[in-house]
Amino acid sequence: MTEQTTSTRDVGVVIQESESNRPVVEAIEQDNPDCSVLHTPGLIRITAPGRLVITQETVEEKLGREWETHEFQMAIVSYFGNIQEWDEDEIVIAWDH
Amino acid sequence: MTLAPEKKTKKPRKLSMKARYEALTRGLDWEPSYVTKEEMFPHLEYEGIKIHDWAAWEDPFRLTIDAYTKYQAEKDRRLYAVLDGFAQGQGHLNLTDAGYLNAMKLFLQGVTPLEYAAHRNFAYLARHFAGPGPRFAALCQSIDEIRHMQTEVHTLSNYNKYYSGLHNWPENHDRMWYLSVPKSFFDDALSCGPFEFLIAIGFSFEYLLTNLLFVPFMSGASFNGDLPTMTFGFSAQSDESRHMTLGLEAIKFLLEQDEDNVPIVQAWLDKWFWRAYRVTALVSQMLDYMLPRKVMSWKESFELYFEEQMLKGLFEDLAFYGITPPRHVADAVQEKDVLSHQVYWILYQFSFAAGFTTTMPTPEHQQWLSQAYPDTFDTHFKPLWDKEARNIASGGRHFTRGLPQLCQVCQIPMAFTEPGDPTTLCQRESEFEGEIYHTCSNGCQWIFEREPEKYRQAWLPVHQIYQGNCGGPSVPEVLEWYHLQDGDAGEYLGSRDHTNWLTWQGEAAAETASHENKAGA
Amino acid sequence: MSITSLGEYDFPSRSRQELYGDDQLVTLWFQDTMWWCSPVMFRAPRAMTWADFWAQMIVPLAEEDPDFDAATARTWTLHGAPFEPQDGMTLTELGIRHKDVIGTRVAA
Repeated sequence: MTEQTTSTRDVGVVIQESESNRPVVEAIEQDNPDCSVLHTPGLIRITAPGRLVITQETVEEKLGREWETHEFQMAIVSYFGNIQEWDEDEIVIAWDH
Repeated sequence: MTLAPEKKTKKPRKLSMKARYEALTRGLDWEPSYVTKEEMFPHLEYEGIKIHDWAAWEDPFRLTIDAYTKYQAEKDRRLYAVLDGFAQGQGHLNLTDAGYLNAMKLFLQGVTPLEYAAHRNFAYLARHFAGPGPRFAALCQSIDEIRHMQTEVHTLSNYNKYYSGLHNWPENHDRMWYLSVPKSFFDDALSCGPFEFLIAIGFSFEYLLTNLLFVPFMSGASFNGDLPTMTFGFSAQSDESRHMTLGLEAIKFLLEQDEDNVPIVQAWLDKWFWRAYRVTALVSQMLDYMLPRKVMSWKESFELYFEEQMLKGLFEDLAFYGITPPRHVADAVQEKDVLSHQVYWILYQFSFAAGFTTTMPTPEHQQWLSQAYPDTFDTHFKPLWDKEARNIASGGRHFTRGLPQLCQVCQIPMAFTEPGDPTTLCQRESEFEGEIYHTCSNGCQWIFEREPEKYRQAWLPVHQIYQGNCGGPSVPEVLEWYHLQDGDAGEYLGSRDHTNWLTWQGEAAAETASHENKAGA
Repeated sequence: MSITSLGEYDFPSRSRQELYGDDQLVTLWFQDTMWWCSPVMFRAPRAMTWADFWAQMIVPLAEEDPDFDAATARTWTLHGAPFEPQDGMTLTELGIRHKDVIGTRVAA
């Protein structure tokens, strides 16, 4: 499932606002320059046109420790789009069509 | 499992996520030897769904049992640490107002038992699906759901020590009139076959609508000083993203397996969108009326989580398979300006028979409502509250002692109006085998007429009360059968919770003042 | 129209008239006020006269509306069509069936 879709409809992820998730959010902002971030009480909603990627390398860099992508389950509250890829090195949310 | 011989490194090389998933989830499946596959999985054909290749099921989470238990344990550890802190730190005093808990009472009575029902039915799917991928995903969800039920009960039990309305939720769920709305919704899904259940709960409820239900709800808890609820909400919702994925994979899998599945799935989607949407009506009024500090209006929430994310996002994806947005979705969109007001108006006048209290919105609250609903609140709903204000001034309180006509499908009192006309109640009548049945909307009528044999069996609280099946035919007998205690029901102002709250706040203020005096002396 | 099921599926209505003996369910819909969140349902004897139905069932409930006046002239509908209730006639004689909805508004 590596085909890239041309869709630019927004996808997004909602993350719990917490100390340990702040570096994760920073990593997402860095890896997705087009994203927009909305803060509501307790929650951070990050959306991006077409595709949103979370990479292990950037998160580890921000956290200063090892981080496996499974750990993203501790941060994610909700998402919209389709989880296209969830591997050791990255998580990709995008629409299929 | 034997690993291939490795190079001499210190750390044993880990399998890739993909390989671990293949080995631990798919690789543990077996072929039956002394029964046929049809005997082993007897419920897979009668719904008309055709599956050619179960292995085509994708699980993006690539979940294995060890990773699952590791992270679930961590989620529980985090939650229970917060609960301990709550108990030790007098957390019950940190709310914005005791009235906030009315939303939690409704949640505990209405939603928590659904978690348990979901646990049961995902266990059924984990037994009945013929593919190991979906079976394992359903098994995890089944365990998640019972965890949600337990964590919700543990969390809210802390409030039960101090507040009314939280002491009898399982019986409430089985008996009380407004709780037949969520209960009958889930019973409807539980009595479907495995594939319809998956589209009903896994997709229509989990993927399409839970954002609408949980995300503003958690923000509301956060905004109103309810840290433990926010924490269980997050703890549950982190599982929810997995459930959403299961729902989305399910629908795509069914659509890709056979073209004949498309019209069946479309009809289920049409039905279950509306069924689930009607249940979320209870949430609409929580956001607009029950939270002392508002997060966002129902209308905003609906626009953000449903119109933007689902209609503009998801359904364009599903169009690829020939799926169209749910029938009657336009009615739901049109209702966003009136829904919460109509639902709270029901609860307001029947809260003498409920496990929560209600009160008239204050002038500031009404101002917020009129800003959030510029097209409808001042024209249609403020006049009702103005009339109620006069009624209260002359010693009244609008409690309707008559019983409401209920919708045969969603079981909500017939309080909704014609699409686009907030001044005319919507009444739909259908006849089946010589008996007439009433529904509240085009959506509910369509659902009834598709399967009248099913919905004519509905256990409608009002009809049951009049048959004498709920403790007796009169209202006092029914209230006794509900096991309501003093302080559970009625008007919030002057209620037990409200009086206690004022006393506790007064004590806290007096204590602070006395400390300040001492410090000043 | 039939339901998809594992076996035969035919069960009676849980609200059928016979479960109410000599009575039936009747719904009253005040069409010109939103004071009542929804129409109100009663259980009433089929042999009850309209006068009794009005005086014993409708009025005691409707009086909870501060604007209700029992003496005001009203118009009525049954099955959506104009309807003239007769005080001396029973619900059955008036053609009111189990679960029927009677609409009413203050006469213009």
